Amino acid sequence: MCTRYVVTSSLVDHNAAVTTTVGEIIADRLAESGLAQPASDFVLAALLGDADLNAMIAGGAAPAEATRAPSQSADSTQSPHLYLKSIVVQGFRGIGPQAALRLQAGPGLTVIAGRNGSGKSSFAEAAELALTGENMRWAKRSIIWREGWRNLHSSTGSASILVELTANGQPGVMKVTREWSAGAGLDDTMSYAQAHGKPRQQLAAMNWAHDLEFFRPFLSYSELGDLVSGRPSDMYDAIQAILGLDQMVDAEKRLNDVRKRLEEPSKLAAKALPGLRKRLAACPDERAREAAKKLASKPWDLSAIEALAVGGESGPESAEGRLASIAAIDLPAPEATAAALTALHAAMDRAAEFAGTPAADARRLLGLLDAALDHQAHHAGEPCPVCGSRRLDDAWVEQTRAEVSRLRELTREAMRADDDLREASKAVRGLVGAMPHVLNQDLGELDPVASARAAWQSWTELTKDGIALAVLSQEAAARLRALRTAIADLKSSADAEVRRRSEAWQPVAAALAAWAEQARLSESAAGGLTGVKLAIAWIRDAGQVIRDARMEQFTTKSAEIWSILRQESNVDLGPIRLAGTATQRRLTLDVNVDGVGSAALSVMSQGELHALGLTLFLPRATAEESPFRFVVIDDPVQAMDPSKVDGLARLLAKTGESRQVIVFTHDDRLPEAIRRLQLSATIWEVTRREQSVVELRKNEDPVSRYIEDAFAVAQTSELSEAARGVVAAGFCRSALEAACHQVIRTRGIKDGVPYADIERDLLRAQKLRQMIELALLNVPDGDVVKELGKRYGPSAVSAYNAAKDGTHAGYRGDLRQMVRDTERLADRLRA
Amino acid sequence: MNPDELLAEADHLLTAQIKGTRGLWPRACAWLIRLALEQTLDEFWACELPEAVNSSMRAQLLLLPHYAGDEVAANARDAWFGLARAAHHHSYDLAPTAAELRRWYHLVKGLSALADR
Repeated sequence: MCTRYVVTSSLVDHNAAVTTTVGEIIADRLAESGLAQPASDFVLAALLGDADLNAMIAGGAAPAEATRAPSQSADSTQSPHLYLKSIVVQGFRGIGPQAALRLQAGPGLTVIAGRNGSGKSSFAEAAELALTGENMRWAKRSIIWREGWRNLHSSTGSASILVELTANGQPGVMKVTREWSAGAGLDDTMSYAQAHGKPRQQLAAMNWAHDLEFFRPFLSYSELGDLVSGRPSDMYDAIQAILGLDQMVDAEKRLNDVRKRLEEPSKLAAKALPGLRKRLAACPDERAREAAKKLASKPWDLSAIEALAVGGESGPESAEGRLASIAAIDLPAPEATAAALTALHAAMDRAAEFAGTPAADARRLLGLLDAALDHQAHHAGEPCPVCGSRRLDDAWVEQTRAEVSRLRELTREAMRADDDLREASKAVRGLVGAMPHVLNQDLGELDPVASARAAWQSWTELTKDGIALAVLSQEAAARLRALRTAIADLKSSADAEVRRRSEAWQPVAAALAAWAEQARLSESAAGGLTGVKLAIAWIRDAGQVIRDARMEQFTTKSAEIWSILRQESNVDLGPIRLAGTATQRRLTLDVNVDGVGSAALSVMSQGELHALGLTLFLPRATAEESPFRFVVIDDPVQAMDPSKVDGLARLLAKTGESRQVIVFTHDDRLPEAIRRLQLSATIWEVTRREQSVVELRKNEDPVSRYIEDAFAVAQTSELSEAARGVVAAGFCRSALEAACHQVIRTRGIKDGVPYADIERDLLRAQKLRQMIELALLNVPDGDVVKELGKRYGPSAVSAYNAAKDGTHAGYRGDLRQMVRDTERLADRLRA
Repeated sequence: MNPDELLAEADHLLTAQIKGTRGLWPRACAWLIRLALEQTLDEFWACELPEAVNSSMRAQLLLLPHYAGDEVAANARDAWFGLARAAHHHSYDLAPTAAELRRWYHLVKGLSALADR
């Protein structure tokens, strides 16, 4: 069976040993691929584990080059061949007090049969746990398993596993131990290895880890189970695990997880955006408008958005600016306006006092004489334009100038009053400036703006040139009052508007700030994300190549194994492929059913799928390069029909020619097939008493075993004589039944009777008489007793009768004689 | 041997590690419990319906609901089919487990209390 297993894939060709782990293969390919930084570092970090990957994402250093270090046990030619010598277990899983499974440390098939719950799988699990130590596969076990691994019947509360191995070319045995004190957790201890005559060291020092991963000599039922659970992705994972690709799968998963984490802020920001936009649109604040504008297109100006969110200044052209301008409008204090108006009134009164007085006449005359002097300067010596008689000569000029100076003196006081009046009116007009620009702008819903504007305009009208002082003085006070009221109204409603806007803006600003923070995170993740995406794409492609190559290595071998296992199956096995990725990943397997192609695994029975699991497992576990010359398979028979079990028995026996094959099974089908097909194997039967006392004994041919049991019982002084009679007769009866079964089954198979028909006949023959009749084949009149006597003599008859009646009444004769008679009859029936 | 003695022997096999019984104790135990069940029913019929004593187990189990009630009959049937399968040789069956034997033991023990009534 185990012809040399040669790997020809280019994958592992470059002077590397076949025993390269997936991680090392990937690291090598990575070095050659030229994948840019940081993507290639991401791949390496993902291979190393979560810690390294997270450190890199957090901006830490790229992983150490450790993964590229050559395999420590790459030179397999120097690895000694290892065989299991014994597995000794105490306080672990189904095993309470110490129980030992002793094995022939060399090639050969060993079957350990025991009912479910007998503790047989505990041996398999114990060996795997001790040898693989801290293994991802244990970490992935269910909580129930991880917490329930201790046997409750361990008297001391401690637990221990001892695995003894022999290495060819080395003296003595190597001991691998793992021990737990009471209360220690599954992971609280580690395994130790001790070679013969050498000090004990940590198991890790043996450098088996990566050979164990690659060649994986253990196959548990749950792994076969994963294969048949029906979900294509589970089948994919199971096959992938069997192919030794775990490390790669884990790395890809880690990268995908990181990608999800890095995409999270960006997704959150994108998700929050529509809601934020809506709030911004509903907010009356100008800053909301501004923010909406900045959010409209990428790339976002996050600094500007953050500035807005923390309440940045708004420009004078904004509504906020206008509201601020309104608040800044300044009117003179009422006292000041009152004083100005009082001054105006006083000046007007005083000016009026001069009206109709000589001073007033003098002023009028002064004006006339000033004008006349001006006229004379242009028309000297000409006659007076007023009276026409006197010439305006030099004498007139002199006379008139004297008169003017006299008159001036006379009018000085009146002129001062006039000046004062002019000043006072100017002061009143200047009390209020031009209407502020802001009042002419759009102030939206600010109601009092119209009246403010009207009041201001009405004041401006009043202070225009040409408006009589009388009007000004009369109207000024009222119009100023109106203006003051209107502006006060305007200011108070502007103030309210400012408050309203700020109240509406604050929560929106907070939301905006929160969003901006997400956006920042997403921005800072973007760089890493690109690298991680590249890393994922790369590892996916590389993974597909590695998978295909590994699958190809096994397809040939698998087909060979399938041809042995298929037996009566009408299923032809085609190429097996792992296709798709992530949620689309699936196992595709081309099979031909009765010559018709079918792409579906669904056409295969559970037993066929289990057989398929084996066809994938064995080639790798028995690779020539593996230092482990044993394989431990837990319950491969489970769902197989009898014909498939025959194939399995042949396959295992053939594998056993060059390997130590240890198989655990829950019923007697595999042992029966091995005995019937006369295959070479050692068979143990495991039973578990109450208190988890696990016992093993050789399971020989059932007939001889029953005979031995009958003898043993006959000699057991601890049972009463009556009980011995009952039980010994029972075993004798079982011995005869088993002998008949063998006769009937062997004959049926030889004659080409279908397995199912044989089983049906055996089930129908309930009574010993019917069974013997079926075995004897030709019994005239159905008289079994007569026929037995005729063929085999009186001792056969007494053996038959003892077996038939002894179990009911208890046999009272010589027990040893009964057993001897029974043995003789059984031998003759089978002869 | 009466049913109680048989059950006591079975219990002994089940709890103690008796020398020379490695691996054979489960089937030995099954034979003893099985016989205890047969005898319990015989004693019961001796009082209730003497002509049933020598009839087949199949017939006895059919009669039982009428004479002993449905629950008792169901327990007897349950124990009988388990023990019959365990005691006889079946091609692919391994010996019964301690838990199965303990269960049958209790079922038959309950029935023998009925017979003593």
